[in-house]
Amino acid sequence: MVTPIYIVAVILGLAFLLGILKSSMTRLGSILMIGGLVFITFVSGQWLYEFLVNHRATDIIYTAGFLPPYAINLQMGLNEAILTTMINIVGLLGGIYLLDSLKKTGINSMAIFIVFVMSLNVIVMTRDIFNLFVFLEISSIATGGLILLDNKRKAFQAGMKYIIATGIISNFLLIGIIFSYYFASSLNIDGLIAANLMSIKGGAIALFTIYVSIILELKPFPANGWGIDVYTASNPGISALISAGSATAALFVAYKLMPMGGSFWLPYFAIIGAITFIGSNLMGTRQENPNRLLGYSSIGQVGLILMIIGLSPYLGKDTLLIGFSILISHYAAKAGLFWLSGIIKSKNIQGWSALRKHPYLLFLFGTFIFALIGFPPFPSFFGKWNLIMALAAHGQYAWMTAILAGSFTEAIYLFKWLGYSIKLEVPEDITIKFEWNKYLPIYLMGILLYFMGMYLAPFTEGGVYINFLPLAFVFLLFALDFLPVYVKNTLSIAGIIWYMVRLFPLLEHDLMREIFAGIFLGGAVLTLVAGYAKKGKRPGFYPMALLMFSGLVGLIEANTLLEFFFSWELMTAGSYFLIIRGKRSMPHGYSYMLFSIGGAYAILFGLALAYASGLNISLAALGHITQLTTLAYTLLAVGFMTKTASLGLHIWLPGAHGEAESDVSPMVSAILLKAGVFGLMLLFFYMGTGTPGSEKLLYVLGWVGALTALSGNLGAVFQEDAKRLLAYSSIGQLGYILFSITMMTQLGWLAGFTYTINHFMFKAILFLVIGGIVVKLGTHNMYEMGGMIKKMPYSFVAVLISIIVIGGIPPLSGFAGKWLLYNAVIQKGWYFQGVVVFFAGVIAFLYLFKLIHSVFLGQLKDNHRNMKEISAWILIPSYILIIGIMVFSAFPQWVLKPIGNMLTVYFPKSLYWQGTRAFTSLGYWDGTTTMIVVVTAFTLLLGWLVIASKKVKRIGQFNIVYAAERPYRPETTHVSYNIYAGYKKALGFLVTPVVETFWENVSDMVLDFSGWLRRIYSGNMQNYALHVVLFIVVFYLIALGGL
Amino acid sequence: MDYSITKFLWTLLGLFIVTNWGMLMSSTIRRIGARVSGRIGIPWYQPWVDLTKLYSLKSQVSHGTMFYLGPVFRLMGGVGLFLFLPMIFGSWHWSNYSFSGDLVLILYFQLFGMLGMALGAGEGGHPYSTIGVSRGLAQFTTIEVPMTLAVISIAIQYHTLSISQIVAAQQGGFFTWTVWTNPFATGAAMLSLLGAFGHSPFNLIQAPNEIPIGPPTEYHGVFLGFLRTNNAILHVAEAALFMNLFFGGATNWIELIVKTFLIYFWSVFVGMVFPRFRIEQSVRWFLKIPTLLGILAIVIFL
Amino acid sequence: MGYIIIITGFLLVLIGLWGILSQKNLIKIILGFTIFDTGINVVMVSIGYVKGKTAPILDIISAKDALKSVVDPVPQALVLTSIVIGLGVSALMLVYAIKLHHDKKSLDINNFKDLKW
Repeated sequence: MVTPIYIVAVILGLAFLLGILKSSMTRLGSILMIGGLVFITFVSGQWLYEFLVNHRATDIIYTAGFLPPYAINLQMGLNEAILTTMINIVGLLGGIYLLDSLKKTGINSMAIFIVFVMSLNVIVMTRDIFNLFVFLEISSIATGGLILLDNKRKAFQAGMKYIIATGIISNFLLIGIIFSYYFASSLNIDGLIAANLMSIKGGAIALFTIYVSIILELKPFPANGWGIDVYTASNPGISALISAGSATAALFVAYKLMPMGGSFWLPYFAIIGAITFIGSNLMGTRQENPNRLLGYSSIGQVGLILMIIGLSPYLGKDTLLIGFSILISHYAAKAGLFWLSGIIKSKNIQGWSALRKHPYLLFLFGTFIFALIGFPPFPSFFGKWNLIMALAAHGQYAWMTAILAGSFTEAIYLFKWLGYSIKLEVPEDITIKFEWNKYLPIYLMGILLYFMGMYLAPFTEGGVYINFLPLAFVFLLFALDFLPVYVKNTLSIAGIIWYMVRLFPLLEHDLMREIFAGIFLGGAVLTLVAGYAKKGKRPGFYPMALLMFSGLVGLIEANTLLEFFFSWELMTAGSYFLIIRGKRSMPHGYSYMLFSIGGAYAILFGLALAYASGLNISLAALGHITQLTTLAYTLLAVGFMTKTASLGLHIWLPGAHGEAESDVSPMVSAILLKAGVFGLMLLFFYMGTGTPGSEKLLYVLGWVGALTALSGNLGAVFQEDAKRLLAYSSIGQLGYILFSITMMTQLGWLAGFTYTINHFMFKAILFLVIGGIVVKLGTHNMYEMGGMIKKMPYSFVAVLISIIVIGGIPPLSGFAGKWLLYNAVIQKGWYFQGVVVFFAGVIAFLYLFKLIHSVFLGQLKDNHRNMKEISAWILIPSYILIIGIMVFSAFPQWVLKPIGNMLTVYFPKSLYWQGTRAFTSLGYWDGTTTMIVVVTAFTLLLGWLVIASKKVKRIGQFNIVYAAERPYRPETTHVSYNIYAGYKKALGFLVTPVVETFWENVSDMVLDFSGWLRRIYSGNMQNYALHVVLFIVVFYLIALGGL
Repeated sequence: MDYSITKFLWTLLGLFIVTNWGMLMSSTIRRIGARVSGRIGIPWYQPWVDLTKLYSLKSQVSHGTMFYLGPVFRLMGGVGLFLFLPMIFGSWHWSNYSFSGDLVLILYFQLFGMLGMALGAGEGGHPYSTIGVSRGLAQFTTIEVPMTLAVISIAIQYHTLSISQIVAAQQGGFFTWTVWTNPFATGAAMLSLLGAFGHSPFNLIQAPNEIPIGPPTEYHGVFLGFLRTNNAILHVAEAALFMNLFFGGATNWIELIVKTFLIYFWSVFVGMVFPRFRIEQSVRWFLKIPTLLGILAIVIFL
Repeated sequence: MGYIIIITGFLLVLIGLWGILSQKNLIKIILGFTIFDTGINVVMVSIGYVKGKTAPILDIISAKDALKSVVDPVPQALVLTSIVIGLGVSALMLVYAIKLHHDKKSLDINNFKDLKW
């Protein structure tokens, strides 16, 4: 075992050695520097290994032959080992990354660099407060020196600001230290803790001075203009070190000094942390400079961790785990992002689209962004989860809200940025050179994130059950991304089928899960089959599609709240990437993500309340919510409704589904939306009707469902874009489902299931076929199509059958839903909601006719005369689904009977079967007979027409009775554009985009507020110094001045 | 569930009666209309003459498969409505295949013919057809609002959606008819019926002097024959539906003929008096008084 | 006596802070810092001072009664360190001042607002 004192000794020795080397010996210098960094990494890593594997006890290292307080002592425990290892790794990688710059500026800068890293080590390990001060100063001075690495005007200014601000801060720290010593006669932290300064007269002021300085070192909002400028202006390699290294050390200082003041100061830590977390992220929303943006984000994350330290009384023994989970994500992601920024060298975040030419870097960028927000499988996910759960268990709802609000503001800019990099034009003036020393550190940080996520998962309650198998498959596909489409497609399909075979026996006749598993996985296979129609490689498609399906299947398999939320987030991440692949999908992917994250946080809050009610992590906890019951259920429902795109939360859907790729639209529409339905069904199952407030909630949601159906269908009527029409139609259909299940009766739920199954089938067909046609014809506008029935008869039949189902026309299965709904509505007594829903159902005819007419009927356009049928790979899955529809139509009892039986466990039985005949207390219906009657009669009539109309002559396109004129251009004769003008005149006011306007105003308000707020960063360094002083004064007045 | 040949033959006979009564009714109504406007009008047998001519026309042209199938769908709509409707109360012979489903089935089966017709007309490629269809569908959406309200009101009143049971509940004499026991629902439904029959003021779909005859513009010969046949059946069947729901049903054919005539005449009567609405007017109109009546019909049961 | 020194020290701290916050010339700001530092050093020394005791040097007095007869050596050690650090900080600041002056030929702090928001 090498004692950590060698970290100091070796580095100091090397620094002196470097100082006397000739300035031309840069090669030797860099070898020495890297060697030193490797050595200290080895020392701290070796300690870490000892603590983790051999469970060694904490070691105290004494210096100068005296015991404390007469001499400085260092401590090396698990925490110190972790943190010094982190610091040394980022120091080593940062050193490798900065090698070129350091060589250029000379050997002296190498000396400064290693001293900087060493000083951070000591800051972490030292137990002597004056020593702490000294090394804080050394690190500040070293930082000041390193900022000068970039010989740029802005770097000088930033460095000056930094020195002035940290100078004031450290002087205050020194004052605090002197007085602590004066009152407690000790400079040793343990001695100071034992002295209990708070109990000594004047001790509180001494403590205050120390704490405020330490907090100021963490750059609290708003006294942090100097810090942000450093992030902005210095070399990104240095910013990475400041963000990942200095901040880590400074946070640990706050943590280890915390016991000195006891519980009095903790709330202030938490409040300042929260203000910093929210404020800093809010400022970020308007920022376009990548480094400055990362600066805001860094400060925000540090605020969050400070908040965690402040909240430690509620978090108990988990404090360290939670803090570490979030710290490590911040550490790896921020270092990686700053390093990326150093490679890209773009002045604005739009320039990051240069990453598109480098898919692996783009992948890492995505990894870092998702890790920062706290998506699974990254450590921050588990950190935030544990944090929220622990806070909920102590009833700290305000803190939960603050954390989620801050995280959301962070998502606002991070996903804008990610969207830019995925979708914007690749800038020509930015070229990314491959340099191993710059790539390697970024890759390692990315790998670290995944590794730590897996490593930390079991430390969370319920985390051991998380199934990483699907994720492994996703990784495999990512690794095989260079293969052509058909190989990856086959592999994906085979993987899913294998998983289905494995999964179904495990579901143990849980019919609801079986149905949804069928929709999720069966749908996955069918929509993937359509993928064979694609040529080339489709880079990135398969991992992301499979990621979404992994999330979906995880929802099915989840037994605990954690697994459920984990899967929910995976699904969101995968679907985000799928949606944003569309050509013009950037804004839609963005709004999808914001709604999803907002929804996910609502769900998280609800799950936390469920957990807090019985400290039970199992999914069944949803059935026993005693904390803020109504709020919990409402939040959960709202969260799920962001996925089902219910009225008010629907504005992301039309664009997201309409602009997505042709085989992605069915995935996200027919399949993904059902995740929301699954969530709602699960929720209502557990909620029941007996819990307080649930009746009211269900009543309101029932109306929301009904109005969603109406507005979705009305919206579809006035669309000219075929895929948007279908997207609006989805909104309407999901409205029916929501409405049906809020009734909480057997009939209502049967209707809900029927609609769910039907919507899955017909929307998959429609999006597949219409999507294929849209691609083939090269336009989304229906009025530019027409007459396709002659060219694409199979597509026509598929669409025809689908729209008969949507319309609920007997004898197809859509009618089952209508009939059940009628019975359910009357039984439940929700007459007026019912009328709204049935009205919506009739309105559906308008858009259905518009769709099928404009595309397939009417006049064939000249430029489409040589069109052929769409790819068989699209038609095959469609026709498989049509078989499904036909079976469900002719034998509804095969499906509805078992579902009905399952539901009798929860609801009183109201649907009975007599052979093929279904009846309720109100009415009866026989699907099989209806089918037989209609098919027989139709055949007879058709036969009659065939006999009666012999020798029918086919005539040309323009051979029509056109008021004695002969049309010569199909465009003038094809009636499609604004076909429902009269209807718009009569009822168009109902489609005023009130909701869109509302959300636009909200977003404008946030951005305006952020723009106004960030004016405090005037750029004047004296103002920043004043901010620091004012921060001290205000904090004093509030904490000790009785303000 | 009776799939026997006997049943089939009886039903076929019923269909034959209904078709002929439908044609006779239409010629009678047209004669009345002519008299009102000071003309003599067509002879009573004119529909049979027309139909014979249409079925025997030799030149027949088609725009494509859907165009060809359109009339079949349309006629299936009318025939289906007849099949699923019990015509004469308490009679096995004339109850058709109403065991397939209840009132909801009938309401939704109306759409079958409409959809097929719309698609057939669409493939015809004539702009007037499409304009007619779009108007028809637009108007239909709001026609359904008072109708739905009325149906729900009746279902609440009689605790059933089965037509036979609704009729059965009205067998206690004249004053047990729904029209007396539930006047609001009847009012709403009867106003909605004006739209369903498509006479003035709600005849913009076929608006003769504007978009020649709307959806069927391109149809001729045997195809038009199918459509005419359907009209005859549909008018009687729909009137019979209203008769069953609101006017005590019928226990024999005479009663059925009288009642369906009067119900159908109601729409013609209104049509004689009122001029045609523009589409946005008619769409809105159904959401005013008729919907209000429908809401009242439900409110009284709350 | 002790109080006078402490108060003087704090006065120096305040003067230094005032200089940092109010002066526009970079050099004057840096001077403000040195005054600030000096003030703190004075405060430190005053805290360690005990009337009538001697310097904590073991050569002069016997190690046995050292604890009774010397002033607290720690603050003095701290002051020494603090002076060194202050020197380092001042030097770095001056370097920056030179760099900034090279850049814009000005020492007015209001001229260096290129980074904001």
